[in-house]
Amino acid sequence: MTPVGTTGGTAAATEKPAAPGARAGAGANLARLPDIAPLVILLLALGIFFSIKSEFFLNYDNFLNILTAAAITGIIAAPATLLMVAGQFDLSVGSGLTFCGVLMAYVADKQGIFAGIVAALAGGVLLGLVNGTLVTVIGVNPLITTLATLAAFAGLARVIADGQTLPVNGFSSLGTSRPIFDIPLPVIIFAVVVVGFYVLMRYTVIGRSMYAIGSNPVAARLTGLRTGRLIFAGFLLSGLFVALAGLINVSQLSAASTQAGNGLELSVITAVVLGGASLAGGRGTIVGTLFGLLVIATLNNGLTLLSVNSFWQDVARGTLLALAVSFDQLRLRLTRE
Amino acid sequence: MAVPFLLQARGIRKAFGGVEVLHGVDLDAPGGSVLALLGENGAGKSTLVKIVAGDYQPDAGTVTVGGDSFSALTPLTAREHGIRMIFQELADAPTLTVAENISLGRWPKRGPFVRWDEIRRRAREVLDQLGVELDVDAPVGSLPVGERQIVEIARALSDRARCLILDEPTAALSAQETERLFGFVRRLREQGTALIYITHRLDEVFEISDRVAVLRDGGVALEGPTADFGRGDLVAAMVGRDIGEVARPAPPARVAPEPVLRFDGASVDGAFDDVALDVRPGEVVALYGKLGSGTAEVAESAFGLHQLSGGAIEIAGRSVRLRDPADAIAAGVGLLPSDRQREGAFLIRSVAENLAAPSWWSMRRGGLFISDRREADAYGRWHEALRVRSRNDPAQLLGTLSGGNQQKVLLGRWLERRSRVLLLIEPTRGVDVGARQEIYRAIRELAAGGVGVLVATSDYEEVVQLADRAVVMARGRVAARLADDEITTQRLTEEVGG
Repeated sequence: MTPVGTTGGTAAATEKPAAPGARAGAGANLARLPDIAPLVILLLALGIFFSIKSEFFLNYDNFLNILTAAAITGIIAAPATLLMVAGQFDLSVGSGLTFCGVLMAYVADKQGIFAGIVAALAGGVLLGLVNGTLVTVIGVNPLITTLATLAAFAGLARVIADGQTLPVNGFSSLGTSRPIFDIPLPVIIFAVVVVGFYVLMRYTVIGRSMYAIGSNPVAARLTGLRTGRLIFAGFLLSGLFVALAGLINVSQLSAASTQAGNGLELSVITAVVLGGASLAGGRGTIVGTLFGLLVIATLNNGLTLLSVNSFWQDVARGTLLALAVSFDQLRLRLTRE
Repeated sequence: MAVPFLLQARGIRKAFGGVEVLHGVDLDAPGGSVLALLGENGAGKSTLVKIVAGDYQPDAGTVTVGGDSFSALTPLTAREHGIRMIFQELADAPTLTVAENISLGRWPKRGPFVRWDEIRRRAREVLDQLGVELDVDAPVGSLPVGERQIVEIARALSDRARCLILDEPTAALSAQETERLFGFVRRLREQGTALIYITHRLDEVFEISDRVAVLRDGGVALEGPTADFGRGDLVAAMVGRDIGEVARPAPPARVAPEPVLRFDGASVDGAFDDVALDVRPGEVVALYGKLGSGTAEVAESAFGLHQLSGGAIEIAGRSVRLRDPADAIAAGVGLLPSDRQREGAFLIRSVAENLAAPSWWSMRRGGLFISDRREADAYGRWHEALRVRSRNDPAQLLGTLSGGNQQKVLLGRWLERRSRVLLLIEPTRGVDVGARQEIYRAIRELAAGGVGVLVATSDYEEVVQLADRAVVMARGRVAARLADDEITTQRLTEEVGG
């Protein structure tokens, strides 16, 4: 047998860029390490900056405010992370949230709260079914598919509500109650969802399979993974959690607005990408997304406390997204070289 | 031409991240001659030609082109001096036409407007020069790979290439396309072009080159007129030792009588017709034929990738209908695809995940759960057995392993899955000579362990070194069946026809 391991750590040096050598090794390390590290630093920096600038920033109540603000986006961002890891997108989450909320209010008004909740969940499943079918059965690009459902479901919501904001009474506990330590229920749900998706993505066959599909869809199929079904399931989950978020939103406002979910897809994708998920698929974690969410929520909260015009918050969020995507590209390039 | 063209590299040194990969290499490529450049992956071939083409700057040494000396060429100066490289991966614009591609980047203009007549004229002229007929208005993406490569060569020519570097140009070509390419190479040689031809295939070296240079570990191991050397010399120079290239394997210790995989008059429309063959546990059966002869499709149909239009496939004595790979895997079949990186590997995932992927569903516990440790254990089982050269860290990313070692991890997949039938399609394409032997050994050991192995290949040396029996295919049909001593390179080339 030929001597093994004479080169120690690195496998035999090759000239192909995909393979090792010192530079690729550094790239691999860089690709693994900084998913979280820069975000944590950014979050700390923001925390310190706002603590100095505003006396209202650093206290328990404001901390809960930040988490509450992140909760709805976060509940949707969890399945969005799973989808992006599999190389998929769901842009329809914003109009999905509006649609489910309006559906809930409409049905609740006629059949009662419980029927409303069931209707909202069914609405979410419907959205997931449509997206999943178009992407996995028909084979339409997910970006185009969910762009189409984004428009269609926003329109549907307005049709149902006749363009009005629908009031919902007697359904405020989901969004506003504070069962333990004064923590709002949406924050607790958010936490449960994050833990659930952490386990799903980290320790189950489904999670593993999603990473495999995103990293190489052809190879995933050739290792026997039912890629179509798994992606379909991902869109279904996304629809279901959009419905849950829609219910919370209605409960918080005691009303369903046809504008409720406007721009939500952007916040979700910003958080997921900021959290280190690669647009090319195969990379990304729930913990990363959590930090992405916290950075955005902290930034918005701090800017509000400093009385910065809310338009500037949009500018800040857009800038963050651009930076996150550039970082993703940079990292991809480094790992390739 | 008054002065014959000459490209000369002297004392080229290059280091990456402190590791020197070229230790003072000399290279001569005179006009009107073909230089074959050989070497295993990692020997420094690509680095060397990229320096010549100006993509990399050498740390020391000079490149002399047509009388001008450079300590470092840039892509621009290399281009100005007529040096062109045709990459393995096509670098064309598939949605543009043949004519547009040939003038790509230097479209003739009148004022701000592109002169389409001139673009077409130029394309026809250079295609005439090559003696090919191609529709200059066809989008390049609609052409077969072989013709796309010709378009790339035409592009280089129309841009006054005087030195053409071809990086494994035949890797994706069929036998006929290869012949045609060789025709162009000869024609260019007559026209005074200097050609540097990188390849892994020894036959091609003897067929096409005037001189040969073998790189090993960043130095020139052998250099001279091709006619002065035999195959053995070249292989020995590449691997640095004599590996006794074309030896037959020992006959299998025990072969079970009942076939584990059986094709019974199987057909797939447009791919193969009425194929009958069987593979028994413990033996390696080769399915040999040129590219396009249907061998790969036969193997793929046993993996659920093509639906039979006639006949049947039996696995372990039972007729099966395989709708997709998941069905085939459940029936005990594994497949190693030919394009490892695109079809087999999860390069950005860990080696353990790569090895365990097909076994996830059987590895799970308590519903859907799967632990890193079980994956790592699976990897541990096969790391040693397959002699994977890596850090032996289950979390190491697959993409950081060399090609041969990636291939071993992908083989391990099916061992862990306890597949009874293993289908291998061109298992050593793009794998260097040393690693090739290790893969052959792994395949033989697999068979010895009771797996039935079917290898679809277009490399007859592979058949000779690996197979207990060989089924030769031509144009979608079985042309011959050979066993044991009948399997020689000569018989194989005869049976496969011209």
